Amino acid sequence: MILTLSSRRKLITVAIGFFAGLILLIELYPIGITLLNGFRRDIVILSGQGFSFDQITGRSYEMVFANRQYMAGLWNSVVVGLLSTALSVSFGAMAAYGISRFRFAGRNVLAYSFLVFRMLPQMSLVVALYMMFRAIGLRDTIWGITLAHTSFNAPYVIWLLIPFFITVDRAFEEAAMIDGCSRWKTFLLVFVPLARPGLVVAAVFSFINSWNEFLYALILTGVRAKTAPVAVSGMIGGEVLTWGQMCAASSIMLAPVFIFTLWMQKYLIRGISVGGVKG
Amino acid sequence: MKKALVFFLLVAMTFTVFAGGQREAAPAAQPTREINVLLWDDPYPRALEAMLPEFEAATGIRVNIEMLQPPQVLTRTAIAVTDTATDYDVVGVDEGNVPVFASMLLPFDQWPEGQVYPRTDVTSVTEKMLDIGTWEGVQLGVPINGNLYVWMTRKDLIENADYNRRFRAEYGYDLKVPDTLQELLEMGTFFHENDIAYGFGPFHGGPAGVLCEAVYMWHSFGTSFIDVVDGTYKVVLDEDKAVEGMEFYKKLMAISPPGAETMAHVERQAAFAADPKGVFSMFIWPAQIPAYENPDTSLVSGKIAYSAPPAGPVGHGAVTGAWAIMIPKASRNQEAAAEFVYWWSSHEVAERLVQANTIPARTEVLTNPAFVAEKPHLPALADAMAVAISRPRFAEIGEVQDVIKLRWTEGVTGNRDPREAVRLIVRETNEILQRAGY
Amino acid sequence: MKSFRGPATSRTEGAGFFKGAGGFGSPVPFLIPALLIVFAVLIFPILFAFFVSLFEWPLSAGAGPRTFIGLGNYVTLSRDPGFWNSLWLQLGFIFIAIPIEMVLGFLAALLLNREFRGGNLVRALLLLPVFFLPVVSGMTWRFMLQPRYGALNNLLVALGAPPTTWLAQARTAYAAVIAQDVWRMWPFVFMLMYAGLAGIPDELIEAAEIDGASYRQRVFSVIIPVLYPTILTTLLLRIIDALRIFSEVYVMTEGGPGMSTTLFSLYTHRIAFGHMRMGLSSAMAIFLLILSILFAVTLVRKNLSLDELEQRGGGR
Repeated sequence: MILTLSSRRKLITVAIGFFAGLILLIELYPIGITLLNGFRRDIVILSGQGFSFDQITGRSYEMVFANRQYMAGLWNSVVVGLLSTALSVSFGAMAAYGISRFRFAGRNVLAYSFLVFRMLPQMSLVVALYMMFRAIGLRDTIWGITLAHTSFNAPYVIWLLIPFFITVDRAFEEAAMIDGCSRWKTFLLVFVPLARPGLVVAAVFSFINSWNEFLYALILTGVRAKTAPVAVSGMIGGEVLTWGQMCAASSIMLAPVFIFTLWMQKYLIRGISVGGVKG
Repeated sequence: MKKALVFFLLVAMTFTVFAGGQREAAPAAQPTREINVLLWDDPYPRALEAMLPEFEAATGIRVNIEMLQPPQVLTRTAIAVTDTATDYDVVGVDEGNVPVFASMLLPFDQWPEGQVYPRTDVTSVTEKMLDIGTWEGVQLGVPINGNLYVWMTRKDLIENADYNRRFRAEYGYDLKVPDTLQELLEMGTFFHENDIAYGFGPFHGGPAGVLCEAVYMWHSFGTSFIDVVDGTYKVVLDEDKAVEGMEFYKKLMAISPPGAETMAHVERQAAFAADPKGVFSMFIWPAQIPAYENPDTSLVSGKIAYSAPPAGPVGHGAVTGAWAIMIPKASRNQEAAAEFVYWWSSHEVAERLVQANTIPARTEVLTNPAFVAEKPHLPALADAMAVAISRPRFAEIGEVQDVIKLRWTEGVTGNRDPREAVRLIVRETNEILQRAGY
Repeated sequence: MKSFRGPATSRTEGAGFFKGAGGFGSPVPFLIPALLIVFAVLIFPILFAFFVSLFEWPLSAGAGPRTFIGLGNYVTLSRDPGFWNSLWLQLGFIFIAIPIEMVLGFLAALLLNREFRGGNLVRALLLLPVFFLPVVSGMTWRFMLQPRYGALNNLLVALGAPPTTWLAQARTAYAAVIAQDVWRMWPFVFMLMYAGLAGIPDELIEAAEIDGASYRQRVFSVIIPVLYPTILTTLLLRIIDALRIFSEVYVMTEGGPGMSTTLFSLYTHRIAFGHMRMGLSSAMAIFLLILSILFAVTLVRKNLSLDELEQRGGGR
């Protein structure tokens, strides 16, 4: 009996490892190609040659690093990504708290109207946004594009957080408030630490949304505030494809988000085990 | 009460926005010596950008060049340039879009005189290209690049003695750079059937590109698509000739690489220059030639012969796809903008741009023997310019292009009978023209 | 202030405490920043879109006059087969791609919801496709499907598929667009589900174990109900993203062959920026807005209101 149980465990573990490996293989294959092609010459990539080690060259990377437009775009992307993540996570968390912890008339309307606003195709909004930003001097500025990104990230964060917030036990807040904490203090000092896993997930995805966003950046920014996706699309959309550089540029863009996720998981797990969500 | 407060805040913010907009619209502001320039992204403007410091030093004018993909240039210009306001002092306009912006551009004869560089002599622009910057008889800007169909043929294939012997035995003449579409088809079929190379590389890129292919074939078979008749736009396509052209293209499709139906520039480059099997002969935009002649991106560099496009039964034709540089009426830096264009379109800069592998719209530079020795494609360009043809131009061309792309592709891939496809093109284009009030 | 508390629907226990308590009973301060930033940025564009939708409004002022035509654009749309085509394609896309993503994401989360060596790395690696730039993803897929040198094409042919130009046939191109999205976005579902699962108290599952529930019973009777709010919001987030899918498809197929992959936003884009008919394209947006509102109202009616979510998910 014990033997069968433990051998079953082992079998399950092996099976999980196998499936995890298989899933990873499928999911990472196109990305692997991209990483690899960043180190191969265009002619090698386009002629569909098999891989061999003598193909490896750093020239695409050299060219990408020498590409001022792209490097400036990368920097802008980092700044805009961090700013809009900070704004949308803090404002979104507050709003999600307001929505999930208070009962008021129009609560559903409010929550769903955030969602509905986010459904509109960007194409339809961007022309008006351009006119508006030009009028108030936000066109082609970091703040302008940050604001635009925050406007679609905040609703996202709100809805992403609602299920997390619902599961956080109210008892902690009630206790804090009985002890005389103000609503704000309770939110910041008691609730936020409890809800950290959700906040971390929200931060990751709102950063990615901003990091990958293309259309707003394309229309609303010019030489000064252009973000990296627009610069990368310049390597694709041209009449001559610079395939190696495109791969190098997008590989570079994968690195920070990957590190961010690895780091974030620590908080995800710790947040859950420390948080007492299991209350 | 708080609801009311929120509402009030929202209204107030919206109003601030509008008020801000009105303030901005009022003309004021000191003329600055800084200009914003919007151009298409290809090696040509990039070569120019590298030369900017010299212009800035000579004139004290700072130039911010922004480069976007061609369709995005159209979008951006449409949003950023109006009668009363513009974010750019100089804009590059693709020839097909000149009608859209014509009313908002400053006619060339009203451009301020240059202080450092003399006014561009428009007669120095290649004659056939000059029309590109003109709309309804008014010269609006300076056509700047000599972009039009040139033909690439694999020299190493036609010079191969063995292939030539076999081809001669079958067809009775020598392999050469095809001068007619019929020759192209015969040689292409020979290479394709003998599994030496693919015969042809079609172009199925964006709607504008497909329109180019259709216009080229129709012109070669003796009909044009849309023309001004009695002062208004009419579809003047001759059904039989149009079908003939489409049928011929269908034959060319049959000797093309697999995936020909979806071949845009990137795939064409891969097929012609990177695939070891390669393609015998096809058209190219001159701006891309450097990529085909660069050993880093091409297996066939040095093996390509350039010529004007092969002729149909009716004659030669080379479709243009050029850009003109214009100054919006609303620009507040017209002097500096004009200065910049005068510099760019000067003979001296053109000579240096040609050396940087780009194609200015100036015949005398393209035929300069000093450059021809090094760049064998230049005379082919001059030949092509002599037979240049343009796509129809009017504000609704975007819609017509979509019709062409859909129906032409159906017709040449065998998904629809070519005659039916041509009829649909005529009918659907007429509907668009009628709605537009022509 | 009264209006915000309104007739409190205090069904959940504990809610009363929050509702009544003196000075801090108002959600307004919590809501204002998000409201300002979202509505201030979006309300003008939406109003503007509605305004423009009543006009024949060329994108560029130079392309023609702007004339008021009332509901003319909506009438044009209702008769435009291209519009309906794009709407059906979009709905089809949502109904095919998203269920696959949800199931895959949920199963993978169940599978990987345990500690094993390299777990963090595996989960982070799994998320890479989500981080992949959409345009680059579209381009990579386009090349993987090329008939002569595409890696995925070669694999499919090796598995017995007939050699074909995948992106040149209406059906296969549509399938490829869906496959690309599933490939890219199911890890997103996985991540949210995983985070949700990690929040389920072990006691709950253990209790079910003691009851002798089989694994499948546990999944259906314990995990899914508790995860319900997460599942629902994930679904909603995926739907709103899928509605806006653009750049990857544009790069992959440009909406072709023919109109077979011209999803809603691609058609909006074509009308607005290709045909320069801003009025018509704004009418499409307003149509979508109305559709979304109807959809949201139905969701609320169908017991998907927030109160319902709370009761199901967090009635603790």
